[in-house]
Amino acid sequence: MAWKRIKASLPPGRYYLSGNEAVAEGAIAAGCRFYGGYPITPSSETMERMAHRLGQIGGIFVQMEDELSSIAAVIGASWAGAKAMTATSGPGLSLMMENIGYATFTETPCIIVDIQRAGPATGQATRVGSGDIMQAKWGSHGDYQIIAVSPWSVQEMYDGTIRAFNFAERYRVPTFVLGDEAVGHLRETLEIKPWVRVFDRKKSRGRPPFDSKNPRQIPPMPTFGEGETLLVTGSTHDGHGIRRTDDPKVHSRLVRRLNDKILLNQQHIVDTEEFFIEDSVLTVLCYGFTARSALTAVKELREEGHRVGFMRLKTLWPFPHERVAQLSQGVEKIFVPEMNRGPGGRGGHEIQPV
Amino acid sequence: MSKTVQIRFGGFGGQGIVLAGLLLGRAATFEGKFVAGSNSYGVAARGAACRSEVVISEDPIDFPQVTIPDIVVVMSQRAYDLFSRQVAKGGLIFYDSQFIVPRRRRGMVEVPATEMALRNVEEKRVANVILLAAVVAQTGIVSQGALLRAIDESVKGKFLELNRKAAALGFHWKEEIHER
Amino acid sequence: MVRAMEQYLRSGIPSTPFCPGCGHGILLGLVLRSIHALGIDMREMLFVSGIGCAAWIPSPHFNADTLHTTHGRAIAFATGAKLYNPKLRVMVISGDGDLSSIGGNHLIHAARRDIDLKVICANNMIYGMTGGQVAPTTPQGFTTSTTPLGNPERPFDLCKLVEAAGGRYVARYSVTQPLALMESIKKSLSFKGFSFIEVLSPCVTQFGSKNLLESAPKIMEWAMEKCIPREEAEGLSREELEEKIITGEWGDVEDSTD
Repeated sequence: MAWKRIKASLPPGRYYLSGNEAVAEGAIAAGCRFYGGYPITPSSETMERMAHRLGQIGGIFVQMEDELSSIAAVIGASWAGAKAMTATSGPGLSLMMENIGYATFTETPCIIVDIQRAGPATGQATRVGSGDIMQAKWGSHGDYQIIAVSPWSVQEMYDGTIRAFNFAERYRVPTFVLGDEAVGHLRETLEIKPWVRVFDRKKSRGRPPFDSKNPRQIPPMPTFGEGETLLVTGSTHDGHGIRRTDDPKVHSRLVRRLNDKILLNQQHIVDTEEFFIEDSVLTVLCYGFTARSALTAVKELREEGHRVGFMRLKTLWPFPHERVAQLSQGVEKIFVPEMNRGPGGRGGHEIQPV
Repeated sequence: MSKTVQIRFGGFGGQGIVLAGLLLGRAATFEGKFVAGSNSYGVAARGAACRSEVVISEDPIDFPQVTIPDIVVVMSQRAYDLFSRQVAKGGLIFYDSQFIVPRRRRGMVEVPATEMALRNVEEKRVANVILLAAVVAQTGIVSQGALLRAIDESVKGKFLELNRKAAALGFHWKEEIHER
Repeated sequence: MVRAMEQYLRSGIPSTPFCPGCGHGILLGLVLRSIHALGIDMREMLFVSGIGCAAWIPSPHFNADTLHTTHGRAIAFATGAKLYNPKLRVMVISGDGDLSSIGGNHLIHAARRDIDLKVICANNMIYGMTGGQVAPTTPQGFTTSTTPLGNPERPFDLCKLVEAAGGRYVARYSVTQPLALMESIKKSLSFKGFSFIEVLSPCVTQFGSKNLLESAPKIMEWAMEKCIPREEAEGLSREELEEKIITGEWGDVEDSTD
């Protein structure tokens, strides 16, 4: 089995840490041993703590010259066998996009922690925003899937980072920890349990690293230096990595499989949390830090006698279409509070029941 | 003490406002409470007006930022002007009398923290801890032992001893006032 | 000799994609001959390349681990792999546009960090794969598809650039100097630290055809005439040197070979 139970990297107990620090501790606990990054507000505390912690345990930390090279180094390290990560914020994420697409196409496990701030452009570097939700999913060109977790607390910055590493290793896909300035800089009680469940990528000598008969199954991932004469390329390739840039069938098979391996495994990935749904006529659908405000508001409304429900997306991508559709059956309206202006650009949007 | 207490610290950058919040948060964590804290960040915390906030609760905290503080601790006139109008009913405002001339009397608690720091340890940078220790002594939001442990785990080098002394001064600040 | 090199080539790859007269095939052969001469096990090697004709030299042809990356970022990918597994011998082979234009920042920073990478820059002075556009290495005055009236800009001296950034073994040779070039590749393979070899590898199809060097013999002759060793250059005047490309070694290779 590729699942294993290991000791947590900190003595068990309660800590008072910031979200960004908790991300670093979660990464170390999950087995991350490579960090490549470039400083950017409001994410830099993760980088600083990783520099310190990886130094203590013999991991590799490198401050790269920019975000393009940061994610490139992370992908290179991943193929050299590392559980590898970077952390950034909106402008840095924009710069990483081409290589994130490369990572999806080469099925490279890696973690991108995005501590969102108010954009566009330089925007308000020290203020909170949720402007990268779409960028995280659609920011690179072509058809691809990624996984994103959306922590709402310091505890989930820790647990969610471990979970993100497990998703990345299990599905061989770039996985996002989509935090924001508020949860990144928030200090909170963090409970560290003695044991952590982690997933390590599967290996299988000689089997094609870029194909599987069943699209639900993830091909094994060999590592550089094991004598497998690996051929890794961002061009369309067959199961052995051989470039096949003129055969539409090879392209179609590869792109379909890369999408299907996430979408057909959704039931193992998607995670939502619901309160007060049974009697609700109106439901608030939310994620991330906004959900903290929303839950408080929903509780206040219920105390006043309003039948309001609450649903939170603990994972944002893939999007839980099915559950949201079910939810919409029983309610008049679903409210979606977000720290962005929504896909319509007009400030919030209402999902009409289907 | 109610189940949830909200505390807001305010001053200018360099006074240790952020550290005061961190120490209180750690101390409450040691006591098994649920704690959430946030503070001014980056350039906003250096030189300009600075704030730090802590929510302490017996239960998990839904919204983790301060809405209406039960306790306000201020170290500059500007912070006083900004924050003194927003205090819960029956709440307290602790202020450093070196920097602040209060315009109200109800709920005001004077602590001459900077003056005490200069007189006793010749280091005004520990005024924040004197003030925090005074808050702890007066309100019991955390135990004195928990605050000392938080200091031990958060402060390094020569400032550790200074901060311990400062805490001791703050715990007994009332005696100090009477002596004058 | 061809048979002896076959073990270094990935089986099932029919032929290289290079045009007749391209210098990249010569470079491909020289890299493999250098590895063979030193008795290096291909299983220890990792070849990283970017985008462009030269990036196809190792991928898919070399029977070793190969990482064919995005445009300009080969050195950054290689940095991550090398740092995490220092046992890998990591060689970056890519073109002048890839390494010095879009990837120029990574080149100078890798030289500064002195990461143990062997970077081979196949310089054909033009963007070959995309149709012959001007590169930061195109000599002034030469015609390209984006400088129809002649290149108004000066080219980079890549060796000076890398040396100034801290590269410790820096060399420039032409594919028309195969023996010296092979010696240089061998030095780079045995060197611990950042090494950089600029290999002049003429492009008949794009560079030659636009600049009255439209056949393989013509462009090779041009390269042979233009490239002179450092020792020869010492006796020449400034005007005479302007027309020449100086080949040889820079940096301090002596202090750090295996």
